[in-house]
Order: sequence, then C-alpha cells, then structure tokens
Amino acid sequence: MKSLHAFMKKEMTEQLRSGRLLILGILFVLFGIMNPAIAKLTPWLLEMFAESLEGSGMTVTEVTVSALDSWMQFYKNVPMALIAFVVLQSSIFTKEYASGTLVLSLTRGLERFHVVVSKSAVLFTLWTAGYWLCFGITYAYNAYFWDHSTVRNPVFSAVCWWLFGVWVIALMILFSVVTNANTGVLLGTGSVVLISYLIGLLPKISRYLPTFLTDGNSLIFGIAETEKYMAALGIAVVSALLCFSFSIPIFNKKQL
Amino acid sequence: MDMLRIGDLHKRFGEKEVLRGLHLSVPEHSIYGFIGKNGAGKTTAMKTVLGLLQADAGEITVNGEHVVYGQTATNRYIGYLPDVPEFYPFMTAREYLRFCGEICGMKKAENESRCKELLDLVGLGEETHRIKGFSRGMKQRLGIAQALLHRPKLLICDEPTSALDPVGRKEILDILLAVRKQTTVLFSTHILSDVERICTDVAFLNNGAAKIQGKLSEMKMRYRREEYRLETERETDITILRKAFPQMKSVGQNQVVFSANDYAAEVVLRFLADRKISLLKWEREEPTLESLFMEVTRK
Repeated sequence: MKSLHAFMKKEMTEQLRSGRLLILGILFVLFGIMNPAIAKLTPWLLEMFAESLEGSGMTVTEVTVSALDSWMQFYKNVPMALIAFVVLQSSIFTKEYASGTLVLSLTRGLERFHVVVSKSAVLFTLWTAGYWLCFGITYAYNAYFWDHSTVRNPVFSAVCWWLFGVWVIALMILFSVVTNANTGVLLGTGSVVLISYLIGLLPKISRYLPTFLTDGNSLIFGIAETEKYMAALGIAVVSALLCFSFSIPIFNKKQL
Repeated sequence: MDMLRIGDLHKRFGEKEVLRGLHLSVPEHSIYGFIGKNGAGKTTAMKTVLGLLQADAGEITVNGEHVVYGQTATNRYIGYLPDVPEFYPFMTAREYLRFCGEICGMKKAENESRCKELLDLVGLGEETHRIKGFSRGMKQRLGIAQALLHRPKLLICDEPTSALDPVGRKEILDILLAVRKQTTVLFSTHILSDVERICTDVAFLNNGAAKIQGKLSEMKMRYRREEYRLETERETDITILRKAFPQMKSVGQNQVVFSANDYAAEVVLRFLADRKISLLKWEREEPTLESLFMEVTRK
C-alpha cells in the first residue's frame, strides 16, 4: 500500500513539474469559458459581418442565442479537449519504457500492478477533474446569462460524454501496456475509436457503441430519451473495465 | 554459503544464443568480478537474475530462493545498478532516494536517516539540483546509493565504471570496497585493472558460458608460470647472457625471459654477479588478468 502511495505521489509530481498539469488546467478552463463566450458573441459577430453578408445575398435578421447554443459549443469543443488530453498523456507509460526508469523501481520491489493502478488513477483523476471543471464553468455562465430551464438532461448528457472519455483513456492504458512507443498508443486508441464511430453509422447498431455517448446534443434538445443511452453506457463501462483488467496481467509479463 | 547460484542458464534472442549453459556461484561477502567482452552475455545474465528477462532454461537462486520471472520476490535481497542508470529527471537526488525508500516500505524516520547516510557516502549530500542536470558520474553514484538503500544482501552492478573518467572510476571502486562488509558485490566489467584492484573472486565469460572462475588469488597461483624476466643496462650484456644461456629468449630492448626449468634462478644470478652485469629489472612473471582474459577469449 505504501509503495502504491509513493508511486502515485511520483506520478502527480511528474504531472506538476513537467507542466502537463498546468497545460491541462489552462485548456479545460479556457474551453469552459469559450463555450458561453462564443455563444454570447455570435449575434455581435453576425452584426459585424452583416454588411458583407448582405453583399453576398444573405440577410441577417435578429439572432437570439440561448443556453442551448452554449451547450452545443461545449459538445463541439470537448472532443478537442479529449484529443489534447490523450496526446499529452500518451507517453505516460512508453516514456518510462524508453528511458528505463521503471527498471530501478521494479527491481527494488515495486509490484508491477501498482504501476498500472497508479498511472490509471492519475489519468482518470485528471480527466474527471478537468472535464467537470470545464463543465462547471460552462454551466455557471449559462445559468447566469440565459434561462437554463430550456436545456434538457444537462447533467446526464455530460455524464455520457465523461464516460466516453473514461472509455478512451482505458483503451489508451491497454495500448500503453501492449505497445512500446507512444505512436502505437495513439494509433491503437485512435483506430478503435474510429472503428466504433464507423460501425456507429449503421443505425441499428449505433446505440450499442460507446461512441453513441458523444451525441450530447440530442439529449440537451430532448430529441432522445435517456433510456436510449443505457445500453451504450453499460457497454462502455464493461469494456473499460475489461481493458483495465487485461492491462494488469499483460503488464505483469511485459519485458522491460 | 553462496549468495547467488546460477545453474545451466540458457537464453537466446531470436537466432542469437547469448547464454549457453552458464554456471556461476558467488560466495557471500565477496566482490565478484564478472569479466567478458562486450556482447559476451554479462548484462543478459544479470537481467535474468533480476527477473527482468525470462530464461529459456536453467535455474537461479538468490540467498537460497528461486528467482521467478515477472513478479520477482528475490529482488528484495538485491540492489541493482544498471549500466546506464536512469532516474526521474524532475526529482532531486534526495527526493529520488526517499521515493525508493517508500517503495520498499521503509519507515519514514529510517528512510530519512538512511537517505542522508547514503548521500553522504556517495558524495551527493550537498546536491540540491534536479537529476536532469547530473553528470554520468553523479548518476552512477546516485545509482549505487539507491541500490544500497534497503541494505541488500547482493549488490549487482552492470559495468559501473565503464563510462567514467579516472576520478569517477576511483570513487565508484572506493564505494564498492567500502560496502563489502555489509553486502556481496557482483559487478560486470571489461576493465581489468578495476578487477585487480578490488575483486576477491572472478569469472571469465566467453560465448555465453563461464570459462574459468574462482578466487582471484588462487587463479593467479594456478596460472603462475615459473618464468623470469630480466633487463640489463647495456645491450652487450644481453649478448653475453644469451651466449652462456642459449635457452633465454630475447623480448624487446635489453630484455630476456627464461624458464626456471631451463636454468635455476640462483645460477643466473651468480653469473650476473660474477660478470658484474648491472641489472635494471629482475622479476618473476605474474600471470596478468589480461593474459588470462586473452587466453580465455581466444579459445
């Protein structure tokens, strides 16, 4: 238990001193502010460009924005935040394989599964904290600027997207113990997400895939019912757990 | 008792057979020199002992316990210094040692005092910079400190002096000599002068097997040849000597060697005294590790 705690502390120190924590913090806060800001600025921007738009045959009538526009921005920006998160953290295992820093820790009795557990815990914690910070900022501004009662299922849709992030990170961990270079991690994770997205284009199967969880817009507009998401939620949770529980025995037998 | 025992160890990487039936026994409290050319299999053998590589066949015991690949419980007896030790560059030396102590589950107070003691031992007590700015010598010394942290029964060092300048090498060797009372040291090297300076036992590794091994002093006895080498001041004296003792072989300038089987040393000495031949050197040929090394690697 002590060694797990020590290794986790090391991971957090690394995140802090390498500047990754700062970058992620700035990123999530920035996205959090940007979502309502863009929504708020849209009418003003359109007004500014009204003349030139008129020239091309478009007339700008009065534009009204609501909290829904801000949430739409949120679901547009969150994928970028997740991609940035994955790219930034994709070397969390592979860097240690390449430099050989794990060898010393393991030869002094650190249990191998502690490595997987610590790194995963740090990743999930950072994702969770960053994501909900971004959500919180957007939510607060939206509630302040607009009437929030028009938004359906704001928390449930956010939970779905958060869980999609957890699923992607679980994939990233699995590919981190299988491959040795972070290109492998990025390719592996990216391919699985892409495959899930492509299969999701078939309407009959789409609701069973984790990528279905990214459709936050249908939820906030009340187009889709929450029940429709239950299958995808369950499958995401189960497959994330599977990825994580496979990672441990694979890492136990990994040649370092 | 043997601290480490390796029996019939085999390991291949694809087509290349690196270890071919390695046998080794390292007695307790020895400083064991593990000598071999680059690529002889020294690092592979050490990594297998640490459970970092899986052996194809063979058996390894550390302190009487079997070594298992992967989750290697015997590592609690071992301190390991890799050839190029890599630490977390964002930590200071003290933070790194403290981290290592926490990993082995040391009590906080004990960890603190042990860190201080070891940093002083390796001369990093005053160092406050992060590891990313360390020289190779400093990293090597920190490596020894981390390896000794949990008072291991066996300290394994993979070529600890190879990349260092003479001062750095001397520091490392002095540290290894100093810790001999507390632990057994196994270190691989191809620098023979280091071995002669501190080792009590040696093994020569060639083609994946230990060609000869044992106490350094016994090995020197066994390979001692009854040969003498002498050097005179004047070149003409050599001609006189060789006329009187035809079996003497001339080697280099003003030097001859002869075997005690051909001429008794005292006969030669009396001859020198009678002719008033002035000598520069008279020595009994000791087998050098270099000559042993050459002999072993040639076979």
